[in-house]
Amino acid sequence: MENKNKYWKGLEELNNDPKFLEQKRNEFAEGIPLEEVLTEQDGELTSNRRDFLKYFGFSISAVALAACNKTPVKNAIPYIVKPENVTPGIPNWYASTCGACAAACSILVKTREGRPIKIEGNDQSPLFQGGVCATGHASILGLYDNERFQGPKANGNDVDWNTLDAKITAALGSAKNIRIISGTINSPTTKKAIAEFTAKYPSAKHITYEAVSNAAMIQANAKAFGKAVVPGYNFDKANVIVSFGADFLGTWISPVEYTKQWVKNRRLTEGKTSMSRHIQFESTLSLTGSNADVRIPIKPNAEGVALISLYNKIASMAGAPALPAPQNIEFAANMIENTAKELWNAKANSIVVSGSNNLDNQLLVNAINSLLGNIGNTIDLDNISNQKYSEDGAFESFVNDLSNGAVDAVIFYNSNPVYSYYNSKKLEDALKKASVSISTNESPDETSSLCKFNAPDNHYLESWNDAEPRSGYYGLTQPTISPVFKTRQAQESFLKWSGNDTDYYTYLKNNWQSALLGGSDQAWNKALHDGFHTVAAKASQSYKMASLPAEAVNPAYQAYTATKDKIELKLYTKVGMGDGTHANNPWLQELPDPISKATWDNYAAIGKATADKLNLKDGDVVKISFKGGSIENLPVLIQPGQASGVVAVALGYGRNSGGKVAKYVGKNAYPATSFNGSTFRYANADVTIEKTGDDYKIAHTQTHHTIEGRNLIREASLKEYIKDPKAGNHFDAHIISLWSERDSKGHKWGMAIDMNACTGCGACVVSCNAENNVPVVGRKEILRGREMHWIRIDRYYRFKDKDGRSATREKNFAGSALSKPNEALIDNSVDSTTDFENVAVQFQPVMCQQCGHAPCETVCPVLATVHSSEGLNHMAYNRCVGTRYCANNCPFKVRRFNWFKYRANDDFDFYMNNDLGRMVINPDVTVRSRGVMEKCSFCIQRIQAGKLMAKLENRVVKDGDIKMACQQSCPSNAIVFGDMNDPNSEISKLFKNERSYTMLEEYNVQASVKYLTKIRNVDDAIAGEYKSKGHDGEHKEHNEKAHQKAEHHS
Amino acid sequence: MSYESPIRETLVTGGKTYADVTNDILRPLEQKATKSWWIGFTLSALVLALWIGATTYTVLVGLGAWGINKTVGWAFDITNFVFWVGIGHAGTLISAVLLLFRQKWRMSINRSAEAMTIFAVICAASFILSHMGRPWMAYWPVPLPNAFGSLWVNFNSPLVWDVFAISTYFSVSLVFWYIGLIPDIASIRDRATTKVRKFVYNFFSMGWNGSTRTWHRYEMISLILAGISTPLVLSVHSIVSMDFATSLVPGWHTTIFPPYFVAGAIFSGFGMVLTLLVVGRVVLKQENYITMGHLDAMCRIVMLTGSMVGLAYITEFFVAAYSGVEYEQYAFINRAFGPYWWSYWTMMTCNLIAPQVFWIKWARSTPWFIFLMSIVVNIGMWFERFVIIVTSLHRDFIPSSWSMYTPTIVEVSILIGSFGLFFTLYFLFCRYLPTINMAEIKSIIPTHHADHGHGQAAHGEHAKKGDAVHG
Repeated sequence: MENKNKYWKGLEELNNDPKFLEQKRNEFAEGIPLEEVLTEQDGELTSNRRDFLKYFGFSISAVALAACNKTPVKNAIPYIVKPENVTPGIPNWYASTCGACAAACSILVKTREGRPIKIEGNDQSPLFQGGVCATGHASILGLYDNERFQGPKANGNDVDWNTLDAKITAALGSAKNIRIISGTINSPTTKKAIAEFTAKYPSAKHITYEAVSNAAMIQANAKAFGKAVVPGYNFDKANVIVSFGADFLGTWISPVEYTKQWVKNRRLTEGKTSMSRHIQFESTLSLTGSNADVRIPIKPNAEGVALISLYNKIASMAGAPALPAPQNIEFAANMIENTAKELWNAKANSIVVSGSNNLDNQLLVNAINSLLGNIGNTIDLDNISNQKYSEDGAFESFVNDLSNGAVDAVIFYNSNPVYSYYNSKKLEDALKKASVSISTNESPDETSSLCKFNAPDNHYLESWNDAEPRSGYYGLTQPTISPVFKTRQAQESFLKWSGNDTDYYTYLKNNWQSALLGGSDQAWNKALHDGFHTVAAKASQSYKMASLPAEAVNPAYQAYTATKDKIELKLYTKVGMGDGTHANNPWLQELPDPISKATWDNYAAIGKATADKLNLKDGDVVKISFKGGSIENLPVLIQPGQASGVVAVALGYGRNSGGKVAKYVGKNAYPATSFNGSTFRYANADVTIEKTGDDYKIAHTQTHHTIEGRNLIREASLKEYIKDPKAGNHFDAHIISLWSERDSKGHKWGMAIDMNACTGCGACVVSCNAENNVPVVGRKEILRGREMHWIRIDRYYRFKDKDGRSATREKNFAGSALSKPNEALIDNSVDSTTDFENVAVQFQPVMCQQCGHAPCETVCPVLATVHSSEGLNHMAYNRCVGTRYCANNCPFKVRRFNWFKYRANDDFDFYMNNDLGRMVINPDVTVRSRGVMEKCSFCIQRIQAGKLMAKLENRVVKDGDIKMACQQSCPSNAIVFGDMNDPNSEISKLFKNERSYTMLEEYNVQASVKYLTKIRNVDDAIAGEYKSKGHDGEHKEHNEKAHQKAEHHS
Repeated sequence: MSYESPIRETLVTGGKTYADVTNDILRPLEQKATKSWWIGFTLSALVLALWIGATTYTVLVGLGAWGINKTVGWAFDITNFVFWVGIGHAGTLISAVLLLFRQKWRMSINRSAEAMTIFAVICAASFILSHMGRPWMAYWPVPLPNAFGSLWVNFNSPLVWDVFAISTYFSVSLVFWYIGLIPDIASIRDRATTKVRKFVYNFFSMGWNGSTRTWHRYEMISLILAGISTPLVLSVHSIVSMDFATSLVPGWHTTIFPPYFVAGAIFSGFGMVLTLLVVGRVVLKQENYITMGHLDAMCRIVMLTGSMVGLAYITEFFVAAYSGVEYEQYAFINRAFGPYWWSYWTMMTCNLIAPQVFWIKWARSTPWFIFLMSIVVNIGMWFERFVIIVTSLHRDFIPSSWSMYTPTIVEVSILIGSFGLFFTLYFLFCRYLPTINMAEIKSIIPTHHADHGHGQAAHGEHAKKGDAVHG
């Protein structure tokens, strides 16, 4: 009831006495008699001493109080006119296309208050299905790179665009012979713009140059099938996958697309009992090789003969003519014979690929696929891929033409050959002779800094663009921010220089309307909304190779026999760093290599046996010499799984320009590439390795590489799994608790990680960095074991000894004391009994396990880390005093401490040290201060956003509403998040799966993250037979396992 | 006042009179500071400056200045903390437990032992502060009523117990020490020749007038405080041990820790008392008060507690083997034979093996050797904490996160510097306060009463012959 009584302060108020009303207006009953106090009369103050002191005291204390509080200056500029669709605090999402590489994945860009802060996969895309790789995630940081060109330049001086355009058109007008050098362009509209340019300047020719070329495949397809294309690959249709050094899950052509395909036949969750069989022949352990069921280490020069032998084995089964080989070679365990059998049994449903840039090898691959009838099914020559269209020969002749003056004008369209060309000195000298040199490169790099004119392109997030990564699939790029600097779209520059003043948006839209959308605005709006547009795929035809590549036989055998005992150099690209384009991106430099777990460096990866022979150990600095040059000062990394006689070095490092992050990280290995008359080669058959005597520490995020026999990783073979879905997962812990169980009403969040799907690619790590403002710490700090990543991917090696017994423990006192009967030990001595080439790799993503009985919570003195009612382990940064006890007591070691202030600190001169770089920071996540602990929060901001959205829509949270940053764009969909209390959620089903387990279950920490056992499609028994249950099930099981292994191998 | 057993060795030799006691003990205070004092004090102050520098640098830059990492979150910091807390233990043991057991020999060493306790706890507390990520928030683990909302401390956390344990320990030790000092301060006051001196000592003597009533109260309060302190001897290090024992970390998660830590603390405390007194009794010319008998008794305690600690080391291995827990087994094998094997064997040698020499009488009666052994004990006990902390953390459950720890120059400076802090305080103490409790010692010097049989003269003779042992 509202109180309706009215009270008066007195009769004056009731009567509305005018004097009262007058007084009521004044807050102070008596006025402040300041003037009175200060009036002077007869040279003296009228006020008495008391009053004076009173006011004096008041003013002094008021001033003192006011001075106590130093008000910090904060620049918060409100919207004067609120832009349409921008509500502070509410993100806007735009469908776009990733411009980090030519794979052109469909993405969604999250913007907050007009600035893009996060890239996610577009899960409606039929081709990429919501996957984004590490490089794609990290590419957003390139937008906020303050070392980009901030505007056009002519001869090193800042100019405006009109001046530059005038100068360039004049220069081009008088140029005799023009070349445009670019990477693969799969944008139909860009092609059209370039065509306009070449029409205007008839001497202009467009040459596609890829730093890491794939020209051999295109030439081989032209030769074999008359189609100079990169075929569309369908790994999802293949039951048997054989790859010769093609890292299709990591760096080859379109890794996200292929990972999505590959994982389809690897996942066993929906009651499936079949898996594809993946066999990898390769020189150094790649991401793909580490995920293969069977892996055969071979030298690069053995690939040709291996392919010939494989062809001949299949041919004999098919009754087809064989290649005229002197003799067929064979590897341990008859791997060529067995591979041939498996391929033949899966004919038409198998796939053979090669990563080699050797024409002969690609021809042999074509011959095998043709013989197996794969073309038209798993390999599609009609719906092709539009990546890696390198014209190696054309580029080679361009360099010659430029040196001898036949070409006098060159435009580098986002291409940096001065860095990546093998003879960069020649190109550099030639470039200086060119009368016109223009670059549209975004940053001052090795090439653009030599060019007379810089017409810097926008970052792709500032641009309009399109792409056709695969025939019939068109991606649309839309700007998500207006250009940060005075840059301009390269396409618009080309149009300008060809005399077309249309802005590129109109140009693009018109092109789409006329070529694709039939003039419909609605279709355009839909394409813009979806981020992609598809047209019906062409019927895929079967092609047969007309003649056998007999000419490939002799060179292959010659190379094989000539270099059999020599050290071969294999050049490869790393996941994340790729060809070095993104070297100035600190997220990528700090992303641990999925295999070696090394950051901020490349290195000479050498197998254990070869290293012993050369008397090398981890960290020895070597010089690798080859004909015509050398790579100096590379540290050695002993790499398990590496073929003996091979040293592998990653490309993409050793930039000497291109930004302060890129500079001087690693060593440039491009000088070791070569041109063999038709293609660039990424292997060098004859190198020598010399020790310089120096030592160098490589910054690894993981320094112990084996699981030491612990049950944290659980695996089984497919056969064992079919017999017993719980195979390898029988570790029934005996659980006693001192604590009362927590109330679990409402939501209870959990995560399931399918170790069978996870390829270890590291996309989740970068996604998490971007989402959660995880600082970059640099090489020195990683050497001290202080990386800040909230999610890490543990990678373990399992070896076999010479008798075939499995080994996961290092041979030392503890290993010997704790090993089970018949278990082998990993012997690191010189005459090792361990076969370091025969390695099985396990990946395990680990983030905060959000324990129900969290060991970190009980030890925090100040309740800075507490349990939530939704089963989460919260971290209150503001309350943390930094005792680090929680990190010590965390059995999973997922807590990260802020050892330093990582933002606005010149010792950590990465993106958080400048205003522009800080624009990428997610405003929903606190930037942590020095001295506090942090860790994975299960993207609490996303949980909150999901719950709020449900609340606004007046419904309960649906399964799948909330997706973690690591989960959202996982290329293999290995991570599932959801509510464990919802019986119908995907997570609840996965938690009931026989394959699921939590780490350290016996400690009863009640982790909310469950892993699904890794199932390998191999013949070996991995899990061992499980017979007994009971109190000491774990012990018996171990023994059973050991016995089983002994029996199996004896 | 006290009964002298005819068969016990006398505790104070040299035929001292009451006046002699006062003169002897106050000599370092009342004369000009000696050259050796100045050298010692300056040296300590310089090392203290190193501590100030290194600690300030850490607070300014962040804990990244140290060598700790994501896996090894504690190393030198907590090692030093536990080391200094342990050192402090002998003081309380001597002053409280031995008082209750009426061990009169304690009287000549309890003052300096208690001083040592207080200074050691100050050193330890400095590590509590400096190991924090945000030391300016160091008051947060204290359950203070506050205006931050409903913030409170976590009473489940052993670190909160630690805060209580250490602060109680420090305050009780300080009060106990100060109360014991009052009659002596009054003596200094009475002998003071300058006005300032008189004023200061008068202030701190709290109006002591030597009346029966003050003496009565003094003795009552001493007894009460001794009663309060006695459980602290056990509780403080038990609680410090729970910083480890209540955790999950293999190698920490051990129920044997409380008694093992207490024994270790007494061991290291007596080690430090020996270090200080073997030198101090010579420099301050107190050989007649701190006799070879004292050293002998302390050596025996060192041997006993060292063996107890050694037993604990071996028991841990047995329990790990018996438990069947793989992680536990690995932790202990790794401790002894892993990459930090040298620290484990340093600990074993210094703490278990070396003190066994005290079975030999020569070892217990040769001051230079005792001094050497006391240093060995200090080193061993420092390494014990290092072994427990670093070797357990660096290889725990998940092999991917295993790492190594190497200290930085800053951490080493703080460790060395903490000795500067300790010795600076100790040198100031030696200069301004009596290092032996004069009032108490006067109660045990042999008296002149004929009926007691043991005359002063006889003692004097024995002492002159250098024979400290009676009967």
